[in-house]
Amino acid sequence: MAFGDYPKEYNPAVHGPYDPARYYGKPDTPFGQLKLNEIGAWLGRRNKTPSAFMGACSRAWWRWQHKYVQPKKVGMAPFFQLLVGSMTFFYVINYGKMKHHRNYKYH
Amino acid sequence: MLSRIALRSAAARQSATTALVARGSASDVAGVRDEKNFPRPVRGEPGKVRLGFVPEEWFQFFHSKTGVTGPYTFGVGLATYLFSKEIYVLEHEYYTGLSIFLMVYYATTKFGPKIAAWLDKEVDAVESNWNEGRVQNIKDLEQAIEEEKTAQWRAQGQELLIQAKKENVLLQLEAAYRERMMNAYTEVKRRLDYQLEKSNVERRLAQKAMVDWVVSNVTKAITPDQEKQAIDRCIADLSALAAKH
Repeated sequence: MAFGDYPKEYNPAVHGPYDPARYYGKPDTPFGQLKLNEIGAWLGRRNKTPSAFMGACSRAWWRWQHKYVQPKKVGMAPFFQLLVGSMTFFYVINYGKMKHHRNYKYH
Repeated sequence: MLSRIALRSAAARQSATTALVARGSASDVAGVRDEKNFPRPVRGEPGKVRLGFVPEEWFQFFHSKTGVTGPYTFGVGLATYLFSKEIYVLEHEYYTGLSIFLMVYYATTKFGPKIAAWLDKEVDAVESNWNEGRVQNIKDLEQAIEEEKTAQWRAQGQELLIQAKKENVLLQLEAAYRERMMNAYTEVKRRLDYQLEKSNVERRLAQKAMVDWVVSNVTKAITPDQEKQAIDRCIADLSALAAKH
């Protein structure tokens, strides 16, 4: 699997048109339905290669696109989400500098 | 020759193996389109959000555990914790952000609905523009079907008309036949009348000739003696009559 290829589980004859927001491998139990003691095993089963991580990010991106950006009549929600997300991101990467602006010494 | 066969068989073997690899996992050996688990993606409605950007699902996640106000309580409590422990630092950019938030809020509430209406109108215009050809095509075809039906109806009328014309021709033929019959009858009657008239005339002429002939022969047959005797007789009769009166 090189750059720009479909995931190797994807078979056009079976799956039809490619949906970039969809995982075509064998689905595991969703994270939200796990018991607390199963989380370790669940994380152990994950594929932790860089390409799998990039695939997960790509699917999340396309899921967000399909839900908030690509519908016919969207509102301001995706723009506000981008705004809030970027604000949070830049706050986090600048947090080391922000810390020096604290007003109180004791809490 | 042999090398070509070897090449071909090798190519066939290779394509078979690559096809097997491309098939992928064992779950879809059949290679049939799975419409149930992998339906064709459809373009949905945009996801619902609250407070302008927070997904509705996050609120739904709280509802079963904390009730309707739970997510707000959680949000306010988390913010209070971050503020009070000064994990979130209220430096100068925070106040800039507050003023920017006020401006964004005002702009969104003031101009948002108008811009949304205008954009929706544009979206509809674009969509109708793209659909226009197809809709027009469907309309034209439907109209063509209607016209075809009308034409068929008219053709049925033509059949009626042709039948009526055929009847008309039959009537004309009948009329011509009767006219000719009448003609033949009158012609025959005229000839018969002529024959009758002719025989009548011939008989009259013959009679007349016969009478003339008889009269002339009789007058020719009267001799002077007979004439003298007749006159004498007449005179005698007259004198006899005169003597009586």
